[in-house]
Amino acid sequence: MDTGATTKHQFAMVFDLNKCLGCQTCSIACKTQWTRGNGMDPQWWNIVNTIPGKGTPKNAFDLGGGYKDGKPVAGELPGKAEWGEAWDFEYDNVFFKSGDTEERDYLRPREHDGKPPKWGPNWDEDMGGGEYPHSYFFYLPLVCMNCENPACLEACPRDSIYRRDEDGVILIDEERCHGYRFCVEACPYKRIYFNERRVIAQKCISCFPRLEEGVAPACVRQCPGRVRHVGYLDDPESHISKLVNTWKVALPLRPDFGVKPRVFYVPPSMPLAFNEDDEFDESQSRFPMDEMRKLFGPDVEQALATVESEREKVAAGGQSELMDILISRNWNDMLGPYQQDPGKMVRPLRRGND
Amino acid sequence: MTGTSVNAISSQADLEDILSPDGGVWNDIEGQHIELAPTPLDRQPSAYVQVAWKDRNHGETSALTVQAITHKDTLALRIQWAAAQPKRSIDDINAYADACAVSFSTSGEETDLNTMGCPGNPISAWHWRAGTEAPFSITASGIGTTERSADHQLQARSRWSEGQWQVVFAGPLKSLSFSGAGGIPVAFAVWCGANSERAGLKAHTPGSCQLTIK
Repeated sequence: MDTGATTKHQFAMVFDLNKCLGCQTCSIACKTQWTRGNGMDPQWWNIVNTIPGKGTPKNAFDLGGGYKDGKPVAGELPGKAEWGEAWDFEYDNVFFKSGDTEERDYLRPREHDGKPPKWGPNWDEDMGGGEYPHSYFFYLPLVCMNCENPACLEACPRDSIYRRDEDGVILIDEERCHGYRFCVEACPYKRIYFNERRVIAQKCISCFPRLEEGVAPACVRQCPGRVRHVGYLDDPESHISKLVNTWKVALPLRPDFGVKPRVFYVPPSMPLAFNEDDEFDESQSRFPMDEMRKLFGPDVEQALATVESEREKVAAGGQSELMDILISRNWNDMLGPYQQDPGKMVRPLRRGND
Repeated sequence: MTGTSVNAISSQADLEDILSPDGGVWNDIEGQHIELAPTPLDRQPSAYVQVAWKDRNHGETSALTVQAITHKDTLALRIQWAAAQPKRSIDDINAYADACAVSFSTSGEETDLNTMGCPGNPISAWHWRAGTEAPFSITASGIGTTERSADHQLQARSRWSEGQWQVVFAGPLKSLSFSGAGGIPVAFAVWCGANSERAGLKAHTPGSCQLTIK
């Protein structure tokens, strides 16, 4: 049983990909909470990509990093062209240009050099795979995985990245970081960003200041789809442990990266394939199983079968603990030990308000 | 390399002329040619760096020239090296700027410079990076332990011309440990931004030099 036993607790998350609708509320929750600071405009600590797709940055999962046979794998460091800039928009043209309306333009994104962008975060949203009617895709939310075998931590020659003893959350010490970006290369999920202005690396911090107050991360609380479960992997009564260890339906993403991520995914049940007579082929998923196995490992078919079986049990009038967890009728049950409502907390006085 | 001497000559020239990388005062100061070598890859304090760079060259800069002047309480060092493709700033996520540094032993032991100091015997260094407004003042007690601080008494000016970087550092003499009329071990390092050099991936003086005040 995987307990993340090297720290007191192991903070972990499970994302149910059957429920993610790609609305990006999580991305905006994170952006408004954390990444509006100096040099942070292009950073999307939380992003939701479409799979199949090239991801963020472009070809994110094909850029190396992680481990193979226990040894680090060299990673590539993409540039702005692959990450995408925080675009400028020609607001003046749209909102303030007076006179002949034919001269009004629409809101075009532009890179800082004035040229139209060629790539950006989540650029290939909804493109997916296959040709209609055989098309298939799902949404994949991504945050820092708080890996148990973090490639970023090992890569840093200055020990600027550390793992919290209380919950295994991985953090970058921004005072120590000198912006070498070995960590950016080493992360196989490419979830670490580089702040060009401050010359430091930055990434999802698992909302640790909220965790310390018993408040769940912003992306978790604001998800309208009830996609995200949080809790301690080492607590056998937690949703996390039940989904990962008991029911075994929550799987790591790209286990071949060798980093033992602590964010897990319930793989999405996919529609059936069509046969040459344009009828449903009940023996095949529309999503190619070899692609699904590459994403979630060899246990994905069993995980899908378990979810399918429990779903059918409930459809036939039966009870299922798994379905109760995944449906999450009581939203608070998804929040594990982080039940505190931030809206009910006493806020410190703002300067000027006393 | 041990035995190479850099002599700091006293000058009454205008400080602005000394600070200027193409200041006329430097024409009269003999330059010391110093050979550089890549830092040992197996001493990089990260298995990732050792793996990622095992088939890549680093420490591309093969030599530099250094001149030294003292002016009242100030030590000025002018460092020149060839840089055909200058990287003047960090202008992309995967871009690295050219940089150079001079490190000083605080214990008088030249061996400390090879290891970036050690616990109890730190080194100090002056570090310039292209595109930054002010140089860094650094202390270190071993590889991977550098601490940067702003030092308002330390200045650096730079100029790239005809394939050469010229960088002038000017800092307080009293910040260095000189024992009487003798000198102190110093070492130099250059990072080639076009080759993505940073951290311990640099060209450095494999031994050290002796900086002597004349």
